[in-house]
Amino acid sequence: MRSLLSLFTALLLTTSVSAADLTVYTYDSFISEWGPGPKLEAAFERQCDCDITFIGVEDGVSILNRLRIEGDSNKADLILGIDDGLMEETRTTGLIQPHGLKLDRLKPELAWSDDSFVPFDYGYFAFIYDSRQISKPVDSLQALIDSDATVIYQDPRTSTPGQGLMMWVKAVYGDQAADAWQRLAGHTVTVTKGWWEAYSMFLQGSADYVLSYSSSPAYHVVAEGKSHYKAAPFSEGHVAQIELAAITRTSGNPELARRFLEFLTSAEAQRLIPVSNWMLPVIDGVELPPVFGELIQPKRIGFSPAEVADRRSQWLREWRNAAAQ
Amino acid sequence: MLEIDNLRVKQGAAELHYNLRALPGELLAIQGRSGVGKSTLLHAIAGFLPVAGGDIRWKGRSLLKLTVEQRPVSLLFQDHNLFEHINVWHNLRLGMPAEQSPEPLHQAAEVLQVTELLQRKPSELSGGQRQRIGLIRALLRPEPIVLLDEPFAELDPQTRQLAAEWSRATAKNGHKTLLLVTHQDEDVERVADRALQL
Amino acid sequence: MQRAGIAALLFSVLVTVLAFQGLIGFGHGGADWSLLSDRYYQSVLLFSLKQASLSALLSLLLAWPLARALYYRPQLPARRGFLSLCVLAFVMPTLVLITGLVALLGRNGLLSPLLGEQWNLYGLNGILIAHVYLNLPFAVRVMLQQLQHIPDSSWQLAAQLKLSRWQRLRLIEWPTLKPAVLVLFGFVFVLCFNSFAVVLALGGGPRATTLEVAIYQALKYDFNIPEALTLAWSQLLIAGSLFLLLSRWGRSHWLSVDTLQRQWIPQPNQPMKLIHAMVYAAGWLLLLLPIVALLPGVLEVDMARFGWSALLRPTLVSLVVGLLAAGGAMLLAYLMLTPVRQAHLKRQRKRALLLEWLSTHALVAPAMVVSVGLYILLLRQIDLDRWGMLFVVLLNMLMVVPFAVQQLRPRLLQYDAQYHRLCRALKLSGRQRLRLEWPFLRPAFIASFALILVLAIGDLAIFAIFGNEQWTTLPWLIYSYAGSYRIAEASLASLLLLLLCALIVWAFERIRLDA
Repeated sequence: MRSLLSLFTALLLTTSVSAADLTVYTYDSFISEWGPGPKLEAAFERQCDCDITFIGVEDGVSILNRLRIEGDSNKADLILGIDDGLMEETRTTGLIQPHGLKLDRLKPELAWSDDSFVPFDYGYFAFIYDSRQISKPVDSLQALIDSDATVIYQDPRTSTPGQGLMMWVKAVYGDQAADAWQRLAGHTVTVTKGWWEAYSMFLQGSADYVLSYSSSPAYHVVAEGKSHYKAAPFSEGHVAQIELAAITRTSGNPELARRFLEFLTSAEAQRLIPVSNWMLPVIDGVELPPVFGELIQPKRIGFSPAEVADRRSQWLREWRNAAAQ
Repeated sequence: MLEIDNLRVKQGAAELHYNLRALPGELLAIQGRSGVGKSTLLHAIAGFLPVAGGDIRWKGRSLLKLTVEQRPVSLLFQDHNLFEHINVWHNLRLGMPAEQSPEPLHQAAEVLQVTELLQRKPSELSGGQRQRIGLIRALLRPEPIVLLDEPFAELDPQTRQLAAEWSRATAKNGHKTLLLVTHQDEDVERVADRALQL
Repeated sequence: MQRAGIAALLFSVLVTVLAFQGLIGFGHGGADWSLLSDRYYQSVLLFSLKQASLSALLSLLLAWPLARALYYRPQLPARRGFLSLCVLAFVMPTLVLITGLVALLGRNGLLSPLLGEQWNLYGLNGILIAHVYLNLPFAVRVMLQQLQHIPDSSWQLAAQLKLSRWQRLRLIEWPTLKPAVLVLFGFVFVLCFNSFAVVLALGGGPRATTLEVAIYQALKYDFNIPEALTLAWSQLLIAGSLFLLLSRWGRSHWLSVDTLQRQWIPQPNQPMKLIHAMVYAAGWLLLLLPIVALLPGVLEVDMARFGWSALLRPTLVSLVVGLLAAGGAMLLAYLMLTPVRQAHLKRQRKRALLLEWLSTHALVAPAMVVSVGLYILLLRQIDLDRWGMLFVVLLNMLMVVPFAVQQLRPRLLQYDAQYHRLCRALKLSGRQRLRLEWPFLRPAFIASFALILVLAIGDLAIFAIFGNEQWTTLPWLIYSYAGSYRIAEASLASLLLLLLCALIVWAFERIRLDA
């Protein structure tokens, strides 16, 4: 017991977080061994001759929550991993400063011109199915909701894909959303806390469709050589999730932070992110495994970040009451 | 001298009254019907029961203010005198200063015919055997007042005589003041200098 | 000792108070009481109560025949193994259990074809199954232990008086079980009432939400502190007062003096023996199936390419965190019980009850509020990226203290009832008393140490908030695997975690029985 204790304290003291030139708040899976974090860090440190430290919190919304709690005393020069749905709330903390970059390299379909937040990857929410089980997938959100196919999705109160579906249903159904939710509840297997619970249940065969990203099939092809997981293209269009980075107002090194943002949208970084974060690159002309070219290319629908921030709690209540019936 | 003056102890609604005197080195038997409060008296002297009035004095000093641990008393309970999870020898050594020689214990065990039992756990002993172990410890502890609550109840006639005689000899030898609660007249004759009816 | 005990109690209460304070202070105001009239809040509350009562009731009802079978038939094969399995099931990381249950009873589960078209694991079904799986084995152990307190003399007397089976049940078994059953019901109820991971994973949506889950949801996206506080206070009030009430009614069962070994148990007749054997076999099946169901998933991993070394460090970190937390918790629990024992000896029943409640309050306090509240408070004071692991240990320690208290308390009170007077009569010193107490306490101590060690090793919630990736624990690794599509690796790591837990339970059980 005592030797374990001394081992523990010794380890604790030797691996403290050193004062880095650039500190980045992000979400845990971004910096996991298989995430883009370690590779991006190595690549950027090679060109900047500086030290960059990632601090991981549970997920995107936890980054915002941490900023809210810490206020001015936060340690971050950059935040990385907030999505467009949380952008306005993050802005209202008053802790973000404009990036001052020209974003003309970005794909036109993103239609991005925000002065504070920079996209580093994006994806379309999509329902994934196993093509060995289902030969004729549904071709619209309406068809899915009206079908009796079993569905797993995520709770919009606790996960981003859940919020995505909430916007999707709202975008397609408008005032009829509550009714749609009730119909969907009739053939919903379960609503999970987060993405992975839903996705792993789906892989275990718990449902016909699971809510995920249009890029999910790429993982199965690249990492596992399995090509039977497919995303179903919906005729109404798909809601996108754009993942963002931004410089904090309190950053001690905004110049370097700006360089990192520039790096993040460079071809070098954009080649790394899709095959580790399994999302789409935000610039054109990135060299990627061929499967990325075969992914569905949906029409983008949805709401502006300001609308989302404004109406989220109202939509949540609508979902909560309809799905709880 | 042990003096008990108008001692009053509450027992439920009733109140028990006691008066007695015992000289240093005197062996006193206490008799009386069941429920008359013999054990209660011993527990009050040892400090386990709150006292409603009167006094208990030893050598002129009141014991009432003293805790159980501070009183010059060695008490043998009617039962539950041994720790079940440690062996008999370890039980015997409890309550004695570490520097005290174990020799008297061995001698006593020899006399009371329990030497073979010393390495066993109490659960392997019969009631009579357990009583003898408790008795040895109670009398050999370095306390001037010894209180024995029916110490021979579970012994056969032969062992009973042996234990009684050993108790008297040991108490006299150690100049103990001894109070012995018993139902048997023969115990009174064998051990006590005089008897007191409650 | 007494003073250290009070200090330990104050410390654990202080952490909870500070956590609430952290949340209240940051939310600039107290709870939002208008929520009480909200329909959603009421349905959450009702569902919490319903699922907890049903879970507790089912666990106890099903545990009863199993405990009887184990009691009346000590010669059942692999009985010791079964009792170890019971401990393992009780402390099984929920992450692992959920995977197992989905593999077994989910839509494509191994057993699902037997359950008909209408079967759906998610919802009340799944919650009840998981809760029964976790708590039934615990109930079996407590009931068995309780039955074993029946002295031989009672059975011999019953045989002499030729009591019928019904009379024996009514006059001997039930009075022995009754006080334990009430406390047990309260305990299981509170565990299920506060259930989090199981409800989130198997609840199936907003229909099946407990207060604890609602607190999480209120804090996560909305950061709605007033709502979280209302939910938290409701939970504390309901679970807390229920727990208090039940521990008041059911007590004194530990006062039975253990003296001679018990040998004389009435022999059941042939048909009864058969029933016992069948119940016993069903028990094995129930506890093993979800574990066996994990195996097929594991076989999909490419064992040769799997980075085994990636598991080594997280395993080690988990062990160290677990050992520190469990060691600290045992010490805290022992110290906290000192004033409790004093109060019992002085027959101060109210004081004893209050102190006992305080020592186990972490059981009823909403874990989510404690960790988030503390996070909010500490984040602005301390460099948590550096010292977070200390709080992982500290909070895990405080979370498992109630379990240690629950296990040590009856043993210590029994010791006092049996030996306190004797200790005083013999004028033993503090050190002597401790040395005498230790061998008496050791079996209970070892058993509860193993229990809380495994509980602490399985922690995910606290690590998620305070931990950092340099110190990844095994449960967190599983979570990370699963979070990046590596579901098969996650199953393999889950199985490893389960094996580690099983090894700990088994090893400590051996130490306990051999000692």
